[in-house]
This record gives sequence, C-alpha cells and structure tokens, in this order.
Amino acid sequence: MEKENGHVEPVQLVIRDLHANVEGKEILRGVNLTVTQGETHALMGPNGSGKSTLANVVMGHPKYEVTQGEILFNGINILDLSPDKRARMGIFLAFQYPSAVPGVSVGNFLRRALEAKREGYDPNAPAEPTGQMPKRKGIPPAEFRKMLNEKMRLLKVDNTFVNRYINEGFSGGEKKRAEILQMAMLEPSMAILDETDSGLDVDALRIVSEGVNALRGPKLGVLIITHYQRILDYITPDVVHVMYKGRIVKSGGRDFALEVDKQGYERLIQDLEASEGSEETVEA
Amino acid sequence: MTAPTARRGFTTEAVDALIQRRDEPEWMRERRREAWTTYQELPMPTQQDEEWRRTSLRDIHLEDVELSEDWHAPTGTLLPEAERKETFGGFLGIYDGRRVEYRLDDDLKAKGVIFTDMATALREHGDLVREYFMTKCVPASDSKFAALHGAFWDTGTFLYVPKGVAVELPLRTIVAASLDGTASLAHTLIILDEESQATFAEDFTSPLTGNAGFSSRVAEIILKRGANLHYIGVQHWGKSVHDFHTERVLLDRDSTIILQTVELGSRLSKGRVEAILHGNGATAKLQGLYVEDGRQHLDRYTLQDHRAADGTSDLLFKGVLTDKSRSVFSGLIRVSPEGKKTAAYQQNRNLLLSRTARADSIPNLEIGANDILGCTHGATVGKVDEEQLFYLMCRGLSRIDATHLIVEGFVDPLIEQVPITGLREALRHEIQERVSVLEAQ
Repeated sequence: MEKENGHVEPVQLVIRDLHANVEGKEILRGVNLTVTQGETHALMGPNGSGKSTLANVVMGHPKYEVTQGEILFNGINILDLSPDKRARMGIFLAFQYPSAVPGVSVGNFLRRALEAKREGYDPNAPAEPTGQMPKRKGIPPAEFRKMLNEKMRLLKVDNTFVNRYINEGFSGGEKKRAEILQMAMLEPSMAILDETDSGLDVDALRIVSEGVNALRGPKLGVLIITHYQRILDYITPDVVHVMYKGRIVKSGGRDFALEVDKQGYERLIQDLEASEGSEETVEA
Repeated sequence: MTAPTARRGFTTEAVDALIQRRDEPEWMRERRREAWTTYQELPMPTQQDEEWRRTSLRDIHLEDVELSEDWHAPTGTLLPEAERKETFGGFLGIYDGRRVEYRLDDDLKAKGVIFTDMATALREHGDLVREYFMTKCVPASDSKFAALHGAFWDTGTFLYVPKGVAVELPLRTIVAASLDGTASLAHTLIILDEESQATFAEDFTSPLTGNAGFSSRVAEIILKRGANLHYIGVQHWGKSVHDFHTERVLLDRDSTIILQTVELGSRLSKGRVEAILHGNGATAKLQGLYVEDGRQHLDRYTLQDHRAADGTSDLLFKGVLTDKSRSVFSGLIRVSPEGKKTAAYQQNRNLLLSRTARADSIPNLEIGANDILGCTHGATVGKVDEEQLFYLMCRGLSRIDATHLIVEGFVDPLIEQVPITGLREALRHEIQERVSVLEAQ
C-alpha cells in the first residue's frame, strides 16, 4: 500500500476470529493470526488441529465453509473472492499434496500462471462485461525462458523438469521443488507452505529449504505449516505458533519451536489446558 | 447444355443414373449393381441390434437425400491456412465429388507411388483397384451402410506405395463437400506393399448448413509384410450431417499402423474403427479423439482382432463432451486361438464438461488363445476434477482458463502425435474454440 509520502506499507495477511466447517463439522474455531510481509511465521500443531484447513481456507477451497470471522489481505476482505483472484493479489500456497495435471507441462503451466499473475486483480476495478474474455498480456518467450532458467538454477532444478507433466510421476521431493519453483516464478508477497517438509529425506529437505531461504526477503511473508520442528532447523522463523483443536493456543519466538519439539504437543497442551481450564469452562 | 437434374433418395433409378453418368469399367458397374442388391437385401438396422442399441436412425431420411449433379467450383485452395507452410509429398483437393487440386512430387511418381483420386485411379490403375476395392477389406456385404457406399461411392483417395519405398513427406487430402441436403460418399483405399512406409492425413469438411447432409465413408487400408503407415482422419462435417463410416486396416506380418481419428463435426457420427492383425508380429496403435457439443451424438465401435501370433494392439479413445452431447464407445478385443503371445490394450476415457452430457463405455474381451502376454481394458467417465481446478486456480488461472488447460492436457497427448505441425496447431485451436463457445453460453 503506498501512502502519500511515498512510503510503502508492508502487506499483511490478517486472520480474525476465523471459523470454518467442512461437511458440517467445525474445524477452525476462532483463529487469529497476522503475518506481515518480510516476516516468517511457523504454524505447528498435532495432526487434525486444523493447520492445513487454515491454508485451504485462506486460498478459498470450495470444500470449506467459513461461518464466522474475516481474512484481510492488504486491507481487503478476501473471503468472497475466488482462489484465482486471491492468487493474483499475491497469495501463494505451496500444497502438501499438489495435484497432477496430466498432459500439461510444467513450462506451459508456469507461463499461463505468470500471465495470470501479471494481469493481477484489482478488487476496486469495474467488473468485466459478461461474455467478454479479458485481454491477455502475453510474456515474450525469451523473457520467460530467461526468468525460468534463473529460478531453476537458484532452486537446483533439472532442465528436463520443464517438459514433464505437472506432478505426474514426480517423487515427493520433485513435487515440493516444483511447488517452490512456482513460488519463485510467481513472486508472491505472502506464501503459505503447507507441510512442505513432509515426505522429504534430509537432502531434499535441505534443497527445498535453501530454495525458500533464497526467496525470503523484505517483500515476502512466509507461513510455514509443519508438524515437526526439523524444517525450522533450516528456515528460521521469527514467530512460532501452536495450533490445537482449531485455534492458535500459544505463540512465541524462534526458541519456542525447540521447546515444543522437546516437550511434545501432548505435554504442552496438557499444561495449557490446566492453566486455561477456567476460561474454557466460561466459554462452554 | 442439359439442365442439372436433382435426384432424391437412394433408389434403383439413382444407381442406374449414376452408372450411366460415370465412365467406369464394366466390372465396377457390376459391383455397384451387386452392392445395391446387397443393400436392398440387408435389413435397415434397428435398436434391437446390439450395435445400434444406443443410436436411433429415426431422424435419418435417406429418401430425402439429394443426389445432385449441380456443381460449383470452390474458390481458392482447400488446404487450410494453418497448413500452407507445410511441405507435403502430394496434395489432393476434392470438392463435392470432384478432384479440384492435385500435386504429387516427381520423385515419388518416379518410384511408382500412386497417389490420386479414386476416379483417376480407376481409369489409370484399374487392375489394382479391381483387386482391392471392397473385396477383402470392407466388402459391400459388411453392413447396410457399406453396401449403400458400394453402390453410390463418389470419390476419395487412392494410395499405393510399392515394395520397399519410403514416402518421407506426408501425403494430404482434403475432402470438402457442401452437404446441404446432399450426400458425400468418399472412399479411401490405401495399399502399402511390403516394407514400404507412408504418412497420410485426410480431412472431411463441410460448412454449417440448414439441411441435413449425408455422409457414408469407407477407408480400406491394406498393409503388406513389414509395411508402416501413419494414418490421420479428421472429420469436421457441418453440425447437421449424418455420418456413417467404416475404417478398417488389414495387417500382414510385421506391419505397423498408427491410426488416428479425430471426430469434431456432424450431428450423428456412427462408425467402426477396426484393425485385423492377420500376420504374425503386427502392431496396431489406434487412437481416437472426439469433441462433442450441442446435441451431437457419436457412436463408435472398435475392434482389435488378433488372428495371428505375436501381435500388439494398443487402443486409446478419448472424448470431451459438453452440453447435451452423447457418446457411445463399444470396443472389442478378440484373440483367436492362433493369437499366441498377443498383447492387447484398450482404453476409453471421457471428460464431461456439463451435467447433461453423457458418455457410455462398453468394453468387451473375447480371448480364445491361452498364452497371451497381456490383455487389459479400462474405461473412465468423469467430470473435471475439482482438486485439479483448485490447484490451477491457486496459481491465478480463472475457472475458465483452468478448465481449458485441463482439457488441453487431456487431449494433447493424442494431438502431439500428429506428425504435421500445421494440422496439430489447427486441431488444438479448433478444440479450444469449441470449449470457449461452451463456456460463453
């Protein structure tokens, strides 16, 4: 956001009292979280705590129904926007289980995605007349090629990647690297990495983490969703949150992750429930 | 000059008139008469017949089809814009039953390659035509519509490649017809002699008209020992055409075919695609693609007939259906007791883009040999995957663009195997246009 004096405010992702259901069952039960451009947050928690649901709800997955609360991006409530518009505004989700799209090459897909991203989305612009296809600004092939080569070098991705069909027959490590390659190409201002470490061996984890670190900077906000602490050995977060039963129950600095890891979720949650027991009763 | 006489319906008088009008050898005249007799003897298929169970002939009025002699030359070349930069070994343009454009490389002529229209072939290479025309591959007795074709066929491509000759550049035919209440009965006859090789692509195209047109096509492909053919047939008749066809290939020892059919047009398309592997070690790759919208109806029967040992057949038919269109795929793999060490695969996959489109898929196996290498079949009918859509939308693609990309990915593995760049690009474009039209509705 540009102010009158030319000073650019960092973009923020603000989640307030977010409640969401899947198939009638409440998974998110009042999430509050703010991630600012330039910061890296880690969201930890046991399985089933709602971490991946949160990632999907931020992108607008149709399976989830938001029943309460709001998500602001760059000051705009994005809850009514389709996933493509959220993406074009600058939010990126690296999937835990990215879909294979047979017949569509990584290169072709990246070009289309980049074209869409460059088109952007301005929620204040007048709506397109119905039935009219929006004008598409193509990217010169040479420019695209150059950018792609640069990013592939940065992420140590093999050249043959470009001609393979997206995620089809990819190993776990290749899928995650392909996600980070997409992130590198699309240059989002806010990236959510959903269990990017899952299914990776140590070498793959290191390569992916190095890729993410190479992309970090004042223009990128990162939310790393993880079950384990180990990815945080490679990507150091500024803030660590623990999620449990659909809410963020505790937040802390970078050392908090180590504490969680040493203690285990069970113990942490027991302690929390013991200390907040009275509050829970009031709410119920 | 005599005024053109419009004739209506396929009748004995119409066969006689056609025989009178065309300067053909007596044996061909006799074959037309015989085919007409066969036609009259065979019952019109009804929905009681297994092959016709899902396709009704109720709206087909053969008695109304005009067999007009009226003829207007087309303007300009028939070769589509997208392919004008391509280099072909030969080009044949046919318009409403007559050859209007023709070219064949001199070096191919010198090697004895015959590539011409059927009427010319009948005049100049009568013996070859006599031996193969509707004799061993698709005889008139094959079906009611094959018999009708045998009596009334009007034009088409004749290709003969002599022993050991490899035709490097593709050969190309465009069969264009007005089909405004009128008929087109194109015959393709391809004979590849031993150890010869060729690529041949033909299009069937007509404008959108108000009156129902009628088409009956037959393609006979005879591959001798070690011959190798890549055949591409693209049907984009206007949307009011009723199209009936049989494409059959006979494969002798160690011969190979890649047979690709693309069906985009016509109101009704009912046809067979068959590979008969009668020599040991033959290979048939059969690929089909159909894109249907509106109320288009496509009914395809396929046969992989393994009559000899060590044969391989691999069939993949894919359909994209929108609106209220409908497709029926019924495929049979048949392995005779002689078909030892056969490997036969069949797959039919359908992508439905609307709730009202429907695709039926009926696979069949008849295995008579007991030591086959492999035999599998599979069929899928499904909507665009919501998770794929979400994934693509999360990368900024609108729902429409994401759907386009998924359709493109679905059809592209077949299209990318078309060995003519201009045709490949044109097909991609045409299919995307069809999907766009749907989305705008």
